[in-house]
Amino acid sequence: MNAPALSPATPAKTAPAARVGIGGPVGSGKTALVERLIAAFAARKVDLAVITNDLVTHEDAERVRRSGLIDPARVSAVEAGACPHTVIREDPTLNIEAADDLERRFPGVELILIESGGDNLASTFSRDLTDFWIFVIDVAGGDDIPRKRGPGVLKCDLLVINKADLAPHVGVDLDGMIAEARRVRAGRPVIVTNCRRSEGIDAVADHLEREVLFRT
Amino acid sequence: MLRLHGIVGDRRDHALHHRLHHLEHHDAIEFLFVPEADLGRRRLRALTDRGTECAVSLDRDDALYDGAVLFIDDDRAVVVRAGAPRELRLRPQGTEGALKLGFLAGHLHWRVRFEGTDLCVVLDGAAADYTARIAPLLDDGIVTVVGNAN
Ligand SMILES: Nc1nc2c(ncn2[C@@H]2O[C@H](COP(=O)(O)OP(=O)(O)O)[C@@H](O)[C@H]2O)c(=O)[nH]1
Ligand SMILES: [Mg+2]
Repeated sequence: MNAPALSPATPAKTAPAARVGIGGPVGSGKTALVERLIAAFAARKVDLAVITNDLVTHEDAERVRRSGLIDPARVSAVEAGACPHTVIREDPTLNIEAADDLERRFPGVELILIESGGDNLASTFSRDLTDFWIFVIDVAGGDDIPRKRGPGVLKCDLLVINKADLAPHVGVDLDGMIAEARRVRAGRPVIVTNCRRSEGIDAVADHLEREVLFRT
Repeated sequence: MLRLHGIVGDRRDHALHHRLHHLEHHDAIEFLFVPEADLGRRRLRALTDRGTECAVSLDRDDALYDGAVLFIDDDRAVVVRAGAPRELRLRPQGTEGALKLGFLAGHLHWRVRFEGTDLCVVLDGAAADYTARIAPLLDDGIVTVVGNAN
């Protein structure tokens, strides 16, 4: 049924939780971003749950659970096996089930963050699984990453360039890297973060609040 | 912002078609252009071609499609269009061409915008369906087609 709310402050009660994917190469800072976002959304009173995709262990899930920032029951682990991209793109059934399960167990949940197991620059998320997906690359990976035009960099809804703090140490021209990323993405959003020091995290949280939670 | 949840129906549904037709005559239909790659999304925030901001959510088993009506009341409707807007660009020659083209475009309830002295029509169907309605002006050469995007 059609139910236009009266104002942005009136959430559509019937709408299911927003599902947001977080992909990117191994080590770019996806789990670090998830941890920072948990804190940011807690401060914003967003009802949150998390799914991690680990290759064989539940390492990332355990790390997020131990953060103390979220009820450990709200963190689910999906075993991605040897092919981390399969479970977010070709056959996302396991992740969809995990998300459905979280929605059943926590009926008020508004946002589910789904961290991919980490893959190469070609990984993308299925729209069946996520409403919106973030791709995380990092400065230490080199400033030529945007120029390679990987599908992750090009197609994601939001590109995050993490580890801004490392730019001077690895001889990367950060401004040039940002400009190149904006250019290959034809102006679509790019946000720079430093997950070590929680810089840029509010910009990411603001973006999600607006684009998928419709709070502002 | 219009906060919309779910799909009211297909614009081709008989009952809706009737109501939409009425709104069309009052220039009260807004198109929400959704790129093909985004049709699978169940959450989307975007502007209609008339500048109305829409925050759209769907149930998990629902999906956007070309012609999905997201909102309708007595004053306005919001209809999904898949892909980018397609335009027909028309250039009138002299006052006669401009007057006649302007008159017909208004009379036919075309969705138009002006670019200099060109008239750009946002297409809702085949370009040939539009040029057919102004065939005499095209034949007389007082209006020419200068661009047919996509
Ligand atoms: N210097 C720096 N290190 C970071 C930053 N974000 C994450 N890291 C480190 O990068 C490594 C990989 O981070 P992790 O979140 O596990 O990456 P993932 O494999 O993408 O989930 C860890 O040692 C993090 O502490 C950052 O912004 N700056
Ligand atoms: Mg990780």
